[in-house]
Amino acid sequence: MFHKSFIRRQLTRSRQQTVVFVLCVVLSMVTLIALDSFSRSVNESMLMDARTLHAGDIIIHSHYDFSPTLDDAVGSLVKQGLIQAARVYDLYSVVRTAGDKDSLLVDLKIVEPGYPFYGAVELKSQRPLEKVLTQGNIIVEQGVLDRLHLQAGDTLNVGEATLMIADVVLHEPDRPVNFFSLGPRVFVSSRDLEALNLVQKGSRVDHLYLLKVQDPGNVDRLAAELRDVATPDRERVDTYRTAGSRIKRFFDNFLFFLDLIAIFTLLLAGIGIQSAVTAFLQEKEKTVAIMKAVGATNRFITLQFIVVLCLLGLAGTVLGVLLGFFLQNFLPFVFQGLLPQNIRTGISGWAVLKGFFLGVFAVAIFTSLPLYRLRDLKPAVIFRKEETGNRRGLPFYLTVLGVVLVFAAMILWQLRDVRIGLYFISGVGVLIALATLLSEAVLLSIRKRKIKSLPLRQAFKGLFRPRNATKAVIVTLTASLSVIFSITLLDKNLDANFIQSYPEDAPNVFFLDIQTSQLEAFSRELGIQAEYYPVVRGRIRSINGEPVDVAREWQRRGDNLAREFNLTYRDYLLKDEALLQGESLFRTGVEGVQVSVLDTFAEANGIKMGDRIAFNIQGVPLDTTVVSIRTRTKEFIQPFFYFVFQEKVLKAAPQTVFTAVRLPPREISAIQNRMVASFPNVSVIDLTETVQVFARILGKLSGITRFFTLFSIIAGVLILVSSVLATRFVRTQETVYFKILGARRSFILKVLTLENGILGLLSALIALLLSQAGSWTISRWIFDIAYHPFPLWSLLMIFSTLALVVAVGLVSSISILRQKPVIFLREQTEE
Amino acid sequence: MTILEAQQLTKTYRLGDREICVLDGVSVAVAEGEFLVIQGSSGSGKTTLLTLLSGLDKPTSGRILLEGIDITDFKEEELAPLRNTSIGFVFQSFHLVPSLTAIENVMFPAELRHDHDAEEKANILLRRVGLLDRAGNFPHQLSGGERQRVAICRALINNPKIVFADEPTGNLDSSNGKAILDLLLELQKERRATLILVTHSQEIARTSDRIIFLKDGRIAAHGLGSHQGGRDGFSEQHHVS
Ligand SMILES: Nc1ncnc2c1ncn2[C@@H]1O[C@H](COP(=O)(O)OP(=O)(O)O)[C@@H](O)[C@H]1O
Ligand SMILES: [Mg+2]
Repeated sequence: MFHKSFIRRQLTRSRQQTVVFVLCVVLSMVTLIALDSFSRSVNESMLMDARTLHAGDIIIHSHYDFSPTLDDAVGSLVKQGLIQAARVYDLYSVVRTAGDKDSLLVDLKIVEPGYPFYGAVELKSQRPLEKVLTQGNIIVEQGVLDRLHLQAGDTLNVGEATLMIADVVLHEPDRPVNFFSLGPRVFVSSRDLEALNLVQKGSRVDHLYLLKVQDPGNVDRLAAELRDVATPDRERVDTYRTAGSRIKRFFDNFLFFLDLIAIFTLLLAGIGIQSAVTAFLQEKEKTVAIMKAVGATNRFITLQFIVVLCLLGLAGTVLGVLLGFFLQNFLPFVFQGLLPQNIRTGISGWAVLKGFFLGVFAVAIFTSLPLYRLRDLKPAVIFRKEETGNRRGLPFYLTVLGVVLVFAAMILWQLRDVRIGLYFISGVGVLIALATLLSEAVLLSIRKRKIKSLPLRQAFKGLFRPRNATKAVIVTLTASLSVIFSITLLDKNLDANFIQSYPEDAPNVFFLDIQTSQLEAFSRELGIQAEYYPVVRGRIRSINGEPVDVAREWQRRGDNLAREFNLTYRDYLLKDEALLQGESLFRTGVEGVQVSVLDTFAEANGIKMGDRIAFNIQGVPLDTTVVSIRTRTKEFIQPFFYFVFQEKVLKAAPQTVFTAVRLPPREISAIQNRMVASFPNVSVIDLTETVQVFARILGKLSGITRFFTLFSIIAGVLILVSSVLATRFVRTQETVYFKILGARRSFILKVLTLENGILGLLSALIALLLSQAGSWTISRWIFDIAYHPFPLWSLLMIFSTLALVVAVGLVSSISILRQKPVIFLREQTEE
Repeated sequence: MTILEAQQLTKTYRLGDREICVLDGVSVAVAEGEFLVIQGSSGSGKTTLLTLLSGLDKPTSGRILLEGIDITDFKEEELAPLRNTSIGFVFQSFHLVPSLTAIENVMFPAELRHDHDAEEKANILLRRVGLLDRAGNFPHQLSGGERQRVAICRALINNPKIVFADEPTGNLDSSNGKAILDLLLELQKERRATLILVTHSQEIARTSDRIIFLKDGRIAAHGLGSHQGGRDGFSEQHHVS
């Protein structure tokens, strides 16, 4: 059945195409395994031990003080010895140095003894937390000391208390990374809670009960019991298994995003595999034709080549696995700053297995088409010297359709999210279709043109050479470049809008949690004209009678409906608001409670005029009707509210006041010091600083994305190499003939450079066009920021692409350029 | 006047640890406008001699002078323009550029030297060989004889001083071959080019000015073609031993 010597010969001949094929397999394997292993490492070292991540078995969360019923229930369980409990308060507050000279927004965590039940808070002194965090002591992150120029032993004013810095915290189990935080951590003992006087009615505090259940088998039962007595919509009872975590959500989302990029790379590597196999089999055309002429069946021939490709695929897979592990060790450097320092990167057998299957699967899919074409090869090929185009019949298109469908199914399986999977597939589909269409159009218009310059004309002839994978190269390069270009352009635009030049008119300081009773004094003290927004917190219970499914909402990527919303009330539109639907913000003469919804929320959740939204405002149900949809006309740093109510509806509800003002940058810290000295409970957020933090994370993320997208560029480069190799004979022939006819080396180099230059330029230009359009759309419609096209950067990107493609083209043509005419001619004549 | 002169050319190839001497001290001088035929059995070194004379390859020793200038040590960059303007080639297996049409093939050498009349000249030549209506065809759309006629046009477009033709009829049937050789000779006469032709045809050899007979890498005999009024065949007195 297997013809061993035949197979061996196929493996050893046309070595270069087999190398390209193997490299494409390696590329897809590396991408899959490195990323999968890495996400597994992240999960294991940060997220897998959910009990440590939550520091307890059961977590009860509320934005308000716990209800007496719940308090009692917890208390009685403690008394029965079934659980241990510790309360935790998490809030932002501005702390001040002695004499209120300097101030800093910090993330306060007030903890009762017992916290954390799992994992440990590591201190610089290596002492245990409970020994250090006694009454009157605080433990701070190094950043607090650095920024306030303090050291251990100094005091700090927190709220209305003056406390001593006793130690520095290095790591806390329930916050493995802290880049989401607006300020550094400060631990305070619950014994100082009263003295701080920060936890007041309406202020923004996360109240937590951490419970440790003595008998692990009881966790779910006790959680259910507590859930029964908890105030619905307000007190969330979760076990460590069901509790969401912001960090987990972030990494889930980010790893998911990287998954998309991996699949994108897999797709492009797949195109590479296909073009290498096509070239490989084309080189075997004569052999196959001779075999057919002497009576070999299609089955037999296909089987031999399947064995050949399997062996090569196996080699690529093994190499890819090895390289994946190797690369994986470098990933933590790429991710530096985003992950805790101590992250373990381990070899995951599962990742290898999964990568292996996906890789083999991809190879099978992408080789099927070229293999299928072998069937159509007629023995008559032996007598034909020149190329003829491949006829494409119905079976061909059916096979193509099959390949697309199978690959789409694979994507859906890998992403496990049908909606986003479909978006992704259509996105990639549109991208590739656009790239194909544009390149096709340009190539067609070039083909029709009469060109005077000889080298240029030759270069274009080269592009249309039979077997040249010109279109495949352009499409893959364009697709991967579009992604990289877009990320770069967006990165630059965000940077230009917020980092380089913080918008002139945008507010740069937020004051949160002003009590209504403080409003007058606060306004006087601040001394500048400002808009004060009342903030009432509430949840959505149902939309048009459809209750919000809390469990499902927390699983959702992006925003979720089960979270707490900030509601406000006023009877007028703001300066930066406009009505999209509805004649006025509210209507007169309408029964019931009216609400105005922001367009972004309405679009994301399919809310229309007249829809009924039922709210729960701190225990009070409120059924509303949507009477207008607003949009914002300014940049996204302006404060905004999804829901606006009429004043009369919410005026009496428990509320705080929020304001956003523009302060001269140099005075920010002085004003902050002054305001928090008088109003210790008010949180001050310096947006310019926040934006820097945001920008740093963003830069990191875009860097990582670019890193992984580079893999897809490699796929494009491999296709280019394979294409040059596939046309090696014709290229050598031409080069030799040109030399004989008296062409200098400079002429031949010029033609080659032009040919690859056109290829690179076309890909880069199309990619730039697509990415400019894409980034413009995202900037204008999603970020709401002014768009800069960054012509210099665009030029740079085009030139880098040009340089890359020309260099790759030249390097893969070295053997062609070196060919001695006499030797080639002799070989040709002997034929 | 001598246009091309070879002095004591030798060419050896290394095959493993064996040295093969293909040409062994060949000297020959070709006069301007001369029609020289090189003959010899297969493997006697005819093609090798042609590649050395035309500067496509370097001799192991000996010198080559083109119009009195020693081009033996010319670099490829210096030889290329010489090949372009002073030399034309016609090969046994045509060697047309497959991606170029007939007229583009013919024009190519002229275009390389930025000749603005390339197209016009190519048209004149193609009309002359009766292929004007096939100008837009690609080589694979032409028969062997037609391809060779295109190759001849290409060899002549820059009005080279010397045309090298290595068994130009080797891949053609006899009637086609005869027509091609007649055409080549006619054109050579018209343009007063020097023609160095490798052929097995005795009939053609008889019409030449001179015949060189190669054997074992040496010139075994000189002969005069009937054209010069000499006897048929080789004159023993010219025999070099
Ligand atoms: N590159 C080479 N390496 C080794 N031997 C060669 C090479 N090129 C030519 N030869 C040998 O040189 C001899 C002369 O070849 P050639 O000039 O083609 O003869 P002809 O054209 O008269 O048939 C032959 O025996 C051939 O095998
Ligand atoms: Mg020969």
